[in-house]
Order: sequence, then structure tokens, then C-alpha cells
Amino acid sequence: MLYYEFRKILSKTGNRIALLALLVLLGVTCYFAVNGYGTSYTDEQGVSRQGISQVRKLREARLAWEGPLTEEKLAAVIRKHAAVIATPEYNSKDATEMNIAYSWTQDYQDIRQMICRAFGEFRSYDYYKIDSLSPEDAADFYPNRIRALRTWLDTEAKDMYTEEEKEFLLERYEQLETPFYYTWYLGWDKLFEYGPTIQMIFVLVMSFVTAGIFAGEFSNRADAVFFTSYHGRKKAVTAKLWAGVLLSAALYWIVWGLYSAVVLGALGADGASCQIQVHVGWKSFYNITYGQLYLLMSFGGFLGSMFLLLLNMLVSAWTRSAVIAVTAPFIMIFLPSFLSNLSVPWLSKLLGLLPDQLLQMQTSVNYFNLYEIGGRIMGEVEPLFALYGVLSLLLLPTVCALYRRAGRG
Amino acid sequence: MQLRLEHVTKRFRETVAVSDVSVTMENGVYGLLGVNGAGKTTLMRILCTLAVPTEGRITCDGEDIFEMDMRYRKILGYLPQDFGFYPDLCAEDYLMYVASIKGLRPAAAKKRVEELLHRVGLYSVRRRKMKKLSGGMKRRAGIAQAMLNDPKILVLDEPTAGLDPNERVRFRNLISELSQERIVLLSTHIVSDVSYIAKRLFLMKDGRIVHQGSMEEILEHTPVRAWLCTVSKERTNACLKKWKVANIRAGSGGNELRVLSDLPPMEGAAEAELTLEDVFLYYFGEKAGDDDALL
Ligand SMILES: Nc1ncnc2c1ncn2[C@@H]1O[C@H](COP(=O)(O)OP(=O)(O)O)[C@@H](O)[C@H]1O
Ligand SMILES: [Mg+2]
Repeated sequence: MLYYEFRKILSKTGNRIALLALLVLLGVTCYFAVNGYGTSYTDEQGVSRQGISQVRKLREARLAWEGPLTEEKLAAVIRKHAAVIATPEYNSKDATEMNIAYSWTQDYQDIRQMICRAFGEFRSYDYYKIDSLSPEDAADFYPNRIRALRTWLDTEAKDMYTEEEKEFLLERYEQLETPFYYTWYLGWDKLFEYGPTIQMIFVLVMSFVTAGIFAGEFSNRADAVFFTSYHGRKKAVTAKLWAGVLLSAALYWIVWGLYSAVVLGALGADGASCQIQVHVGWKSFYNITYGQLYLLMSFGGFLGSMFLLLLNMLVSAWTRSAVIAVTAPFIMIFLPSFLSNLSVPWLSKLLGLLPDQLLQMQTSVNYFNLYEIGGRIMGEVEPLFALYGVLSLLLLPTVCALYRRAGRG
Repeated sequence: MQLRLEHVTKRFRETVAVSDVSVTMENGVYGLLGVNGAGKTTLMRILCTLAVPTEGRITCDGEDIFEMDMRYRKILGYLPQDFGFYPDLCAEDYLMYVASIKGLRPAAAKKRVEELLHRVGLYSVRRRKMKKLSGGMKRRAGIAQAMLNDPKILVLDEPTAGLDPNERVRFRNLISELSQERIVLLSTHIVSDVSYIAKRLFLMKDGRIVHQGSMEEILEHTPVRAWLCTVSKERTNACLKKWKVANIRAGSGGNELRVLSDLPPMEGAAEAELTLEDVFLYYFGEKAGDDDALL
């Protein structure tokens, strides 16, 4: 039964086109991830080139700074930078000269960004902040991260959090192990950057496929035979649901696996044990590594996709219309980003718990939405997983029940 | 096997589609005859548990069919009026899928599907996509689908509608062949479909069964007689207004009219044997809808 349900899905021309489109979009996304911002290497002549071999050179250069980011190492970066900005090339107005000067800085660009963050205000970032620092300032690097948060909590964010919440945030900041370990992390970085895109594409394309599973019986006018069959109101309905769930799950892991393999394969998989605070999560109060964020993203994306596709199947079973069903994930994904422009405080807390957040774990770990559940304060990641884990499980029997009812007029 | 409908009524918002229908069926072919909108499809959908009657009940060997649930569907075969399928599946896969949801085990299903493909003459096109089959072939796939579980109750809603005369004859024979040892209920608005194969007929009008019985009983109990009379071409129109005319045949000495009436409509009218077409006209006030033989 399940086998033929799969055949029904995969034989449909529209579905084949959708899956082909998914493959093409996967390729395009991989291309952008691998060739995106920050993947070019500038040589001593000031010429920038892209490509896998250039990324290798860049990696080689950056790995010179690999290891714990100690005060000495930070001071060395500040010192090296001071030397670069004193050169005539750096101060030249000529583009080639400036590019040559840039080529001397690209080995420590990652660390430079960290330094600029550490010495800026909580809510601002100044790319040239490092220019005004002296090597002695390096000692303030780690304390500054905590100091900036404290200042922000005492001023701008004074009324946004309760005392307990402020304490929670500061505690998490203080718990972060220092010094950071620095290594090449570009592969993960790009993977996280385009991960939400590929997950969103997956859900939107798959929703075309799953929308037809239940509504298709009606649009094909095959419902009468279906519902008058022996298993038509029980096992055959469950088989439809499993076909949708298993196909979605299998394709998710295939797409996500391919995407991860291509991006990490091209850009390097080093840095799994780096703290996310090194780059993508400087301000995050989740003290986790790149590898852990990858797991969060993989399973968050999985749960979010499954929830949205189950919702899509629910609408399909309920309204008997594939077209309406397809709009459900669209609305769930695009409405929050539209609403977030309104910047109403209580709304942001609510938006933090919408399912699209599961498809963008790298921003979820950076949001400062706090929730108090059962006397414990937490960010949005834990409640998101719990909420949509439970809701997805509840959706399973609901879809079946609704569909059984649809078959009797 | 006995299927019994007791005072079955189905109301939609403003229409009463089926009204107080009480009939009993045992093994054999039953013809449900009525014009479009008479309520045939609604009655059949209720029989197939796709719709719940507003009033009344249906029992199969004394047990309510809605309570029997799966056990009832196990012995049910249904070819809906607007028979739909999965256009991109081939005939064989389509039947294998239906076999699976009908609870046939894979090995048995394979055998049964092959057997039925031969039986309905689709074996040679079994790998062809359903959407590529001709109208008649689709319908035959439809009846094969209904027969997969060797149903004790076979419900066929207008199985011959839209078929060309050859296909229709072929279909009729197929249904006759399949009708052993089961209840077959066949609806149609085409008299010739059922007159040969049905052992009993139900005439349905505005949701009611207005007359039922064997063909002979119906002909005998219809309180009208058929007369053949010849009138000049000029008088034909006047006659059409005055009497129920079942047929007009143009001849050299004027038109020969087939008139339905208790008494001889005119001097020199010869009585003819009453046919089911006449009965249909008498009850429904319109011609038996023989698609390819309309006036
Ligand atoms: N789902 C429905 N909702 C409202 N009215 C309906 C519905 N199904 C059938 N009807 C009405 O019931 C009557 C009988 O229709 P139907 O059973 O299809 O007749 P038949 O099959 O004899 O042509 C028609 O007047 C039709 O409009
Ligand atoms: Mg009908």
C-alpha cells in the first residue's frame, strides 16, 4: 500500500518537475555558498581570485593564527595591523595599492572582526575600530564582551528584562570558556549562512508534492473508490500520511546532506569545535560550538520542515484543495518576516516561537528573546524544539482523523 | 446475501434527493432506471457508505451497513458515475494500488489483477498510463477495480454512459458475466442497458421508487397501452400535442405514430406490444435517453 502510494506521488509529472526544481535550486544554493562573500583570495599583486584553490590559499594563510586566542595572539594581531596601516600602500588612493595592502591583512581578518566586535558598543560594529587599539588593549578583549552586555542591560535594555533575566544573560556570558580556540571556520560559516535558504526552498518545493497526497484523491475524483475500499478509512489514510512523512524526511536528509557535503567539501570542515562566539554568535548566550550549532540547525530544520509539511497535509486533507494547502507553509514562512518589520516588543517574543525560526537556527541562537517556563529562564531554542516536537506529533493523528471525515458527505 | 433499504431518505439543504426508499435485493442484477437528477447517484453513494442517510436504515443480512464498517466494505465493489483514477499510474499499478487498499495480499493481488486484466481485455495495455487509455478502456479498468475483491455487492453507477454502441454491448456482456453469485445494482438512464440483463427494475423519479418488479411485471402493471396509427403529415403536430407519442416513423402514406393511451386514440389504431421504452416515457414524461437514438 505504502509502496504504491509512493509510486502515485513519484509518477505525477508535476511532482517530478518539483523534485527536479529542488535539485536545481540545491545546486544554485551550493554555488552561492561556495562562491559567496569572503571566499576570494587576494595575492601580493592585489589581484583577487575565486575558486577552490584560492580558498585553499586563504585557509593556509588564516591557519597561521590557529590555536587558542590568547592575549599575546590578540596583541600580535593589533601590532601587525598597526604596521599595515602605516604603509604607503594602505594609505594610497590607488585601488591596486589598496588591494595589495588588503592582501597583507587577509590572514587575520577573522580575528580582526572579533576585535572590532569586542571593542565596539553592544549594538554597533565598526570595521576600523582596530585601527585605534594598542597591543596593551588585548587584555580587555574577553572582559569587554561581558562589559558591553552589562552596559547595554543598564541603559538601552533597562526595562526590557527582569532582574532574573539580566542575571541569566550575564551568567551565560561569564560561563563562556575563554580563551577561544581559533581555526579556519569558513566552511561552517557559509553553511550556516545559506542553510536557512536551502531549508526554506526544501519546504516550499516539497509542499507542492505533499499538498497533492490528500487533496489529489478529490481532484482526481478517485475519492469514491478510495473511501469505499476495505482499508479506505483507516490504513489507507495512514499509508498516505506515512508516504508524505517518509518521503519528506528522506528527501530532507538527502538535500541537507548533499548541501553540507558540498559546502564543507569545497570550503573545508575545520572548526567544528570552535565556539560560535568566534563569529556567527559573538553575542549569543548559547555557549555552543560550531559542530553543535550544525546539529541544532540540522534537527531544527528537520523539525521545522516536518511541522510545516504536516501542516500543509492537514490543510490539504481538510480543504481537499492542494492550492490552499500550498499557501500554508508560504504564509508561515513569509508572514513572520513581514511582521517583524513592525517592531512591537511583545510581538518579537511571539515571532520568536513561530515555526520559521526552526529553519534559521543560526539567528535563533542570537536572538535575545527570553522565556520563563516552569521557573526556568531560557532562550527560544529550547521552547521551539519542545513546542513543535509536540505539535508535530499531535498533527499526525489529526491529519488522519480529518481526512477520514472528509470522505463522508 | 440480502440487502435491505428501509425508508431511506437523503435531504440536502433544499433538495430531497432520495425520498423514503424501501427495497430489498438478493443475488441478481437490479436495474435502477431514472432520468438525470432522479437521485440514483445519491442512493448509490449511500449504499456505498459515502453518504449517510438523513432518515432510514440499510441492513446487510440484518446488520446495519454503517455499523459493519470495514466488514461491509470488504464485500463491496463500486464503480462511481464520475470514475476517477490516478492519471499517471499505468493500468496495472492502478489496479495493484486499489487491490492493496482493498486488503488483498500482494501475491493474491498480483494474480487477481492479471486475471481481471485478461477478463476486461486490458492485458495488452496494462503498462499504459491510465490517462492514455480510451474512454471505454478506462471504464473497463473501472469495473476491474470494482471486481478486485470479488464483491458480494457490486454497485455500478451509469457504467455505460458516454460509451459508443460497440463498447456498450461489450460492457453489457461483461456485466452479465460478472453477475453470478452477487447483488449487482446498475443505474442508468438508458433503457436498453438494463432491459436485457436486469432481473428486477426500480423506476426512480424525484427521489422515489415509483415502480418496481421484473420486466414482465412492470409491463403488465403499467396502466397504459401502445397503439400504432397512421396519420397524414399535416395532422402529426396536432397529434403530438394531444397524445403521448413514443415514436414517429415516416412512411409513404403519412407518419406512423406510436401512441401511449388507455383507449384506442383513433379509428383504425392497432395495438402494439408495450416495451420498456414506452413505460419509461409513461412514467418520466420524456423519451428514454438512448444517447444515440434521440428524436
Ligand atoms: N452533494 C449534494 N448537495 C446538494 N444537492 C445534491 C448533492 N448531490 C445531489 N444533489 C441533488 O440531488 C438530486 C439528485 O441527484 P443525483 O443523485 O445525482 O441524481 P441522478 O444520479 O439520478 O442523476 C439532484 O437534484 C442534485 O442536484
Ligand atoms: Mg447520477
